[in-house]
Amino acid sequence: MKRQIDITIEICGSAGDGSIAAGQIFNHALSYLGYHVMNFDSYPAEIRGFGKSVAHTRVSDAPLHTPGERVDCLLALDDPHSIAHLARLKPRGVVIYDSKPMDYHEEDQAVAGFIEPGMIGYGAPLRELSITALQSAKSRNIVALGVMAGLFSIPPEAFHYAIGKRFAAKNKGVIEANIHAFDLGLEHGRSFEKADPVSFGDADLGKRPGVAVVSGNEAVAKACLDAGIRLYAGYPITPATKIMEILARQLPKQDGVIIQTEDEISAIGHVVGAGFAGTRAATATSGPGLCLMTEFINLAVMAEIPIVVIDSQRAGPSTGLPTKTEQSDLNMAVFGGSGDSPRPVIAPASVEECHTLTLTAFEVAEAFQVPVIVLIDFFLSNRMEDVNWQRSAPGRFGQYSPPPVDPGGAYRRYRLTDNGVSPRALPGDEGLYYVSTGLEHNERGFPDYTAANHRRMGEKRLRKLDTLGRQWPEPETVGEDELEIGLVSWGSTIGAAREAIEVLRGRGIRAGGFFPRLLWPVHEKAMRRFARRCARVAVVEMNTTGQYANIVEQTLARRVLRLGRVHAAPYPVSDIVDAIMEDTRQRA
Amino acid sequence: MNEPLLHTDTARHIDTVRQSGLLDYRSEAMPIWCPGCGYYGITHAVNNALAGLAIATKDLVVVSGIGCSGRYPFFTKCYGLHAIHGRALPVASGIKLARPELTVLALSGDGDGLAIGGGHLAHAIRRDADITYLLFDNGIYGLTKGQTSPTTPHGQVTGTHPYGNPEQPLNPILMVLAYGARFVAGGYAGDPASLREVIAAAMAHKGFSFVDIISPCVTFDKTNLQYAMLRRHFSPIGSDHDATDRKAAIGLALEKKFYSGVYYQAPKGE
Repeated sequence: MKRQIDITIEICGSAGDGSIAAGQIFNHALSYLGYHVMNFDSYPAEIRGFGKSVAHTRVSDAPLHTPGERVDCLLALDDPHSIAHLARLKPRGVVIYDSKPMDYHEEDQAVAGFIEPGMIGYGAPLRELSITALQSAKSRNIVALGVMAGLFSIPPEAFHYAIGKRFAAKNKGVIEANIHAFDLGLEHGRSFEKADPVSFGDADLGKRPGVAVVSGNEAVAKACLDAGIRLYAGYPITPATKIMEILARQLPKQDGVIIQTEDEISAIGHVVGAGFAGTRAATATSGPGLCLMTEFINLAVMAEIPIVVIDSQRAGPSTGLPTKTEQSDLNMAVFGGSGDSPRPVIAPASVEECHTLTLTAFEVAEAFQVPVIVLIDFFLSNRMEDVNWQRSAPGRFGQYSPPPVDPGGAYRRYRLTDNGVSPRALPGDEGLYYVSTGLEHNERGFPDYTAANHRRMGEKRLRKLDTLGRQWPEPETVGEDELEIGLVSWGSTIGAAREAIEVLRGRGIRAGGFFPRLLWPVHEKAMRRFARRCARVAVVEMNTTGQYANIVEQTLARRVLRLGRVHAAPYPVSDIVDAIMEDTRQRA
Repeated sequence: MNEPLLHTDTARHIDTVRQSGLLDYRSEAMPIWCPGCGYYGITHAVNNALAGLAIATKDLVVVSGIGCSGRYPFFTKCYGLHAIHGRALPVASGIKLARPELTVLALSGDGDGLAIGGGHLAHAIRRDADITYLLFDNGIYGLTKGQTSPTTPHGQVTGTHPYGNPEQPLNPILMVLAYGARFVAGGYAGDPASLREVIAAAMAHKGFSFVDIISPCVTFDKTNLQYAMLRRHFSPIGSDHDATDRKAAIGLALEKKFYSGVYYQAPKGE
């Protein structure tokens, strides 16, 4: 589908101005009208204060892969922060600002004084209109939305709907007052003589009142619920806490158990216990927590216990930048732990995939009796997208079925099989008792330290991953035939790589992509097949040590262009494009 | 019955036990513990208690950490999980919360349960899942051949403290009483008959129950917990003790004596 509408808006204010709330109303309104939205806000790490708080949403008639970089329209809810934010505007970008702010401002302190040639400013009495509607300045954010809707001719009923949704928990009076505030802004916005190029088209994309605009964390939590987990154990950590908070509310309703543990070790310990007992269980954490969980992940590998661990990566090392995104836990996810400790690592690339691939993770864990790590990041956890749940259907790897009782011989819990997977009995099964252990063990589960046994069992554990690799669908590739540049990327950065390919092709460079979702085991054949078609291969990821680039180079036995970079923000498309153009020039 | 009944490999003893029906809970694996280890007495008492409570092996899950005690599940007919060092409690709690119909027994040595895993104890008590936690307390690290543990007395010479342990030992019973445990008992591996009663009472308790079992390490502790000494110094808790009185239980725990029996069991509804 050709992209015809592509508009990025930001709502900027101090913490407490309601910019994030206004952004959410905007998201719901636009997705209700049938647009695709991608939202990624930034707000201060501190709980309160005068930090800058920015709602950021990109809107399009075609599916979106990144939240965009430059801004078409800025709603300025305050002066000091918004002035600094004007630099993000595109040429001929729109600024909607308060023409009568509360305090008297010198010209060099008000947004109006900074509107330069090439910007198009619309001043509206946001505070005054809010006071007219609500006897309070609190709804300046809603008024500003109204001004924007009026200016850009976005159907107001979508906003009325979204305001109702936003304040559903409040009384009817609150909803009506806010709708009134919106309508006052709308009227004012319609009165402007429009001088800017921003257009939302005819807005006739087919209304979707049921559409969900959700974050990656919400999608992961929904996957846990849809998977029917029996137990979730966790310890609060940014950016994964929201998953736990959602499950704390929802899981008890479907007979699940939620536990806030004393630390991440105990959290994964509970999950290992529940997995051993034959139930589905999960925990979610971030890098520092995954560090603590590593020993238990080793046990789950060795004792072959199915568990799911979600790691929402943040910038590190150590406490790092808790509210900034990064993809630097890959080494730990794939290789962390003592000994040879193979475990699948799955990385969703979108909010919808946070749902589908977390569901898949539960199936893989159960089918192969392994711990599965789902790698997301701060960006995926917190960005919001419109999601069509209907397409989110699991079912590839099937359900666990208990082994037949073998009345003749003793039960071999760790029986050596062709695909590495042994029949697993569960506590409560008659006559099939066994002990699972982190010690090397024989087929019956008893400790056995002989070299031959250790080799056999190590191979068995590896064989399970080989089997999984064969059953996993072919990795996604973009671009046919011979390619000048092949972009390899993973997780949330796939979106930026995808858009970079479009831009590069627009500049006459034959670019393509290789976008695996199963990061470990590596789909070696497919990766080599792709690389053979590429004159150059670049690996794009949000870390500086090239954690996936290392895996790619090792797999291909070939040097790649390592575009591992950190921005403390999602990978900008322009950065990929510039790097490829620069590399192209150098080679020419 | 002051002597441990089970010794390592004597067919005569095994026959005696088999005839008593206790072998129902014995797996075919032979324990790896040293001859004379107190853990044989504990095994006997636990199996007796299980038999008394008529717990089906298929519904029994035994969880352990690392150490000599960690091997315990292998010697029992049960679903066992020999977990990682210090983490028996989180795993046991996860099993019980996921499958409440199972009987879950968790056990640790004093190093496993009070050193590396000491942080979990307070929270397992707060959580109050219906599991029984046995502390195999021999005051030494046995599996690694004789290093200081959190219950090694001050001054004792060990592999890691050749000039004497400079640190003070923990008092496990006082600790768990302070944490708010609702069932707290002490026992002695050299007295499996009374230990059996204590363990049976702990397992019958609804909620988290804790038993500190003093157990001699005959190989690596030649000065502290000796059978001969313990035989003289271990006594049942007096019949005048009110086990519903937490303050009285704390008083008992503060005494420098070894008691076998229930220190404290919270009255129902409290």
